[in-house]
Amino acid sequence: MFQDLSKKELRQLERILHQRTYKQGEVVFNEGEPGVGMYIIEDGEVQITIGKDRRVLAVLSKGDFFGEMALLLEAPRTASAIASKASILYGFFQPDLFSILETYPRTGNKILLRLSQMIAERLRRSNIENRELREKLQALEAKGK
Amino acid sequence: MDITINRFLKILLFLLGLAAIGWLVVKLSSIIMVFIVGALLAYILDPIASFLEYKGLSRAAATGVIFLVLALILFLTVLFVVPPIIDQVKVIQHNLSSDTSAEAIKNIEQFIRKNIPFMKESDLNLQVRVNEMVTHFSNSIFGLLGSVISIITTLVIIPFVVFFLLKDGRSMIKNLVSIIPNRYFEITLNLLYKIDLQIGGYLRGQFFDALIIGILSVIALWFLKVPYFLLIGAFAGLANMVPYVGPWTGASLAVLVVLISNGEVNQMVMVALAFAIIQLIDNVLVQPLVVARSVKMHPLLVIFAVIVGGQFYGILGMFLAVPVAAIIKVFVIEVYNMYKKVNLAF
Repeated sequence: MFQDLSKKELRQLERILHQRTYKQGEVVFNEGEPGVGMYIIEDGEVQITIGKDRRVLAVLSKGDFFGEMALLLEAPRTASAIASKASILYGFFQPDLFSILETYPRTGNKILLRLSQMIAERLRRSNIENRELREKLQALEAKGK
Repeated sequence: MDITINRFLKILLFLLGLAAIGWLVVKLSSIIMVFIVGALLAYILDPIASFLEYKGLSRAAATGVIFLVLALILFLTVLFVVPPIIDQVKVIQHNLSSDTSAEAIKNIEQFIRKNIPFMKESDLNLQVRVNEMVTHFSNSIFGLLGSVISIITTLVIIPFVVFFLLKDGRSMIKNLVSIIPNRYFEITLNLLYKIDLQIGGYLRGQFFDALIIGILSVIALWFLKVPYFLLIGAFAGLANMVPYVGPWTGASLAVLVVLISNGEVNQMVMVALAFAIIQLIDNVLVQPLVVARSVKMHPLLVIFAVIVGGQFYGILGMFLAVPVAAIIKVFVIEVYNMYKKVNLAF
């Protein structure tokens, strides 16, 4: 996500990132809670789960990130995140994004552009999956008739 | 049984801790007040530092530039504004004990007695009351500058606090946030952000609004040849920071001074008119431009907060009442909303 940033810009970013340490099994955030930012995994492993029975949607590791929707949209978390191993995470939050846009607009814009590209890419993939699933459903319905 | 004893001990320790913190706050209240004033000034100046950072300066250089400009303003104020204000306070105190003002007050007393017959002589006694009021007023002004918090504290510690909070404030907040447990970390960040949104614009706006109103009042009173124009203008500007009560206090003081000094009805009307125009300019032009209407509170709540603030911390308490009430309001609303959302989700 920060691959386009120069060393100087990374130093500016470092000042606003929050390093957090999580024990194995510790909850990063719960589904339904208000979220204000995203997390990047520096070390360890995080499970993204949904529902009361904690159904696992994805297992993320070093270099992955999650919760990025909350950076742009003030809405409750759509899934829970739990550290499945002892982990070190970097938190990047909406107020800090606004602050960097205000003080270092060039750096802020680069981050914002990259974030939009990644969300657009996920949307594109979701659309493809959605289309494939719809086609499968139509084929099944046709077979049933 | 053991669990009950443990719980009891924990509650006892918690209460003892709270009492110790309360005792410390009371004992160190004057130092805490210095830090609050410093933090408030740093908070007001923060957008200027951010703007200079945006223009390419480092945070330290931006803080340095702000301090140079402030030092220049302070130097000019001490050189040109403070001596006349001190002189004017002395002149007010002297004039009130003079024969002319005594006669003017006597005339007012006679006028009231004639028109309100049920007023007894002992009910009025205006001369003594005005003397008491002015002595109290001038003492509180000098007290604010000198005796309550010593001059050394005011001149050295506050700028020191402002400098470091302005330069390192962000990393200090980051370090403070880092000690919050993971469970409450994001909620705390969200709360801090919401509080900043609510009171940031309000505080900065009120500060610049008071400055503009103060300057306009000084110009108007100087133009109308009102004695002690500098002092009354500065007071009107400062008083304007107290919602609802403030603007009336400044105008009343100016009219009262004219009444006591020469009692000319024309000049009193002109002064009242000037303050009405200034308030009109404030409401129509200055406030919509400068003061962000971020603090949305019912007028009754604002007045209540101002009275409570005044009761605890005097003039400073009245200034701080609205932002403190806004912080409490945001805190309660956000915690309630979070509780509701979490309960709805599960």
